[in-house]
Amino acid sequence: MKRSRLLVLAAIAYIVAAWSVAPGFYDGFTPPQPYNFVCPPPQAGANSQPSSGRLNIKIINGSSDPNSAFTDDGQLVIGFLPGAFDATGKSSINVTITPVSPCPTPNGLKFTTNTYLITADAPLVKSSNLVMRYSNVSQDPSYIYRAKSLDGPWTRLPVQQQAQLYTISTQTDQLGYFGAGFPANAISTSTSSNQEILPIVVAVLIVAVLLAGVPLTVLRRRPARAGGRGRRDEDEDEDE
Amino acid sequence: MLLAYVLLLEWTRALTATIPGAVVPALLLGGAGLALAAWGWPAERLGLGTSRLGLRLLGGLALAAVLLLPAAARVSAVPTLPGALAMAAIAVSIGEEVAFRGALFAALEDIGGAPIAVLGSTLAWTAAHALSHPVEFLPAVAAAGLLLAMWRLVFKDLVGPIVAHVIADLAL
Repeated sequence: MKRSRLLVLAAIAYIVAAWSVAPGFYDGFTPPQPYNFVCPPPQAGANSQPSSGRLNIKIINGSSDPNSAFTDDGQLVIGFLPGAFDATGKSSINVTITPVSPCPTPNGLKFTTNTYLITADAPLVKSSNLVMRYSNVSQDPSYIYRAKSLDGPWTRLPVQQQAQLYTISTQTDQLGYFGAGFPANAISTSTSSNQEILPIVVAVLIVAVLLAGVPLTVLRRRPARAGGRGRRDEDEDEDE
Repeated sequence: MLLAYVLLLEWTRALTATIPGAVVPALLLGGAGLALAAWGWPAERLGLGTSRLGLRLLGGLALAAVLLLPAAARVSAVPTLPGALAMAAIAVSIGEEVAFRGALFAALEDIGGAPIAVLGSTLAWTAAHALSHPVEFLPAVAAAGLLLAMWRLVFKDLVGPIVAHVIADLAL
């Protein structure tokens, strides 16, 4: 097989391999995004245990106040709208967020964040916005999953537009266990972002190659024609 | 000997980079150390000739587009590297190409011909990233190494892989 064909095959193999992991080409020069893992991956380096969070929501005129609960290390934030809880008979509502240890390993799923248990002493009646931070020392999560118990079943929640780097967010109408990851047998895909620089970079590269390639090719062929015979590129298309 | 030197340097760099504040020095020193692997090799044998430089540079841009294509297709959020880290990333990208697709490739080609050079440099490149990358990324790392090594073999050129590697590292 000609070497140039092997090169094309290698390019296709690379695209397939890089597509199977988000973000794709990755050389680890971006500073590791700080993250406190319950179960740190080997490449995480020094690790601190993740924090829990606690919030007391006031009831004003029979309705729960808007507020946000978050872990002390900011790795999980959940925002509650006014009247998000059924406050019947309550003067305040306590929300707690606890990182789950040991790390759950649900069948068919791979979590790249910690799993957190979010509880409240009143039922949630309005959807709340949940934001989870993740680290770039693991693959980017594709979804946030929720379960009532660690045994599952885990429900995949629709993710929202990524507002910040290394965060993934969703809306949830129930509390329980939350973890971000992707199906173990599927391709991890980043959520879309408002920072769409990379496609522009690639587009510019392609345009540059096309624009510069045509004149360069023409310039290369002219001397060959002037010499009265085609010039074979001795570097290319050598038979194996 | 060369293989041991390059691997040891890469693993040391990867471990040192986990120390807070040591990332930039580790990358700069690692890049310089890797470039030293080319000591004594003629530029032509490393694929660093200056003939057809325009095409080599252009090839590097095309190769960079291929390396970045999967990430670009996902419309991933990409961080912007701080200036010091960007300089360090350039240094280590050049150093890695000179070491793996330059000196190591040439040495392996002398020993066992083209197939050994391509496979050996790809395996060494993958092993060198074993400590710095999550295991899930290693197939993509290996595939990138194979692609860059094939480019080096087909075009006898290292300028393209250097340009592509630098652009890809800066962009991601």
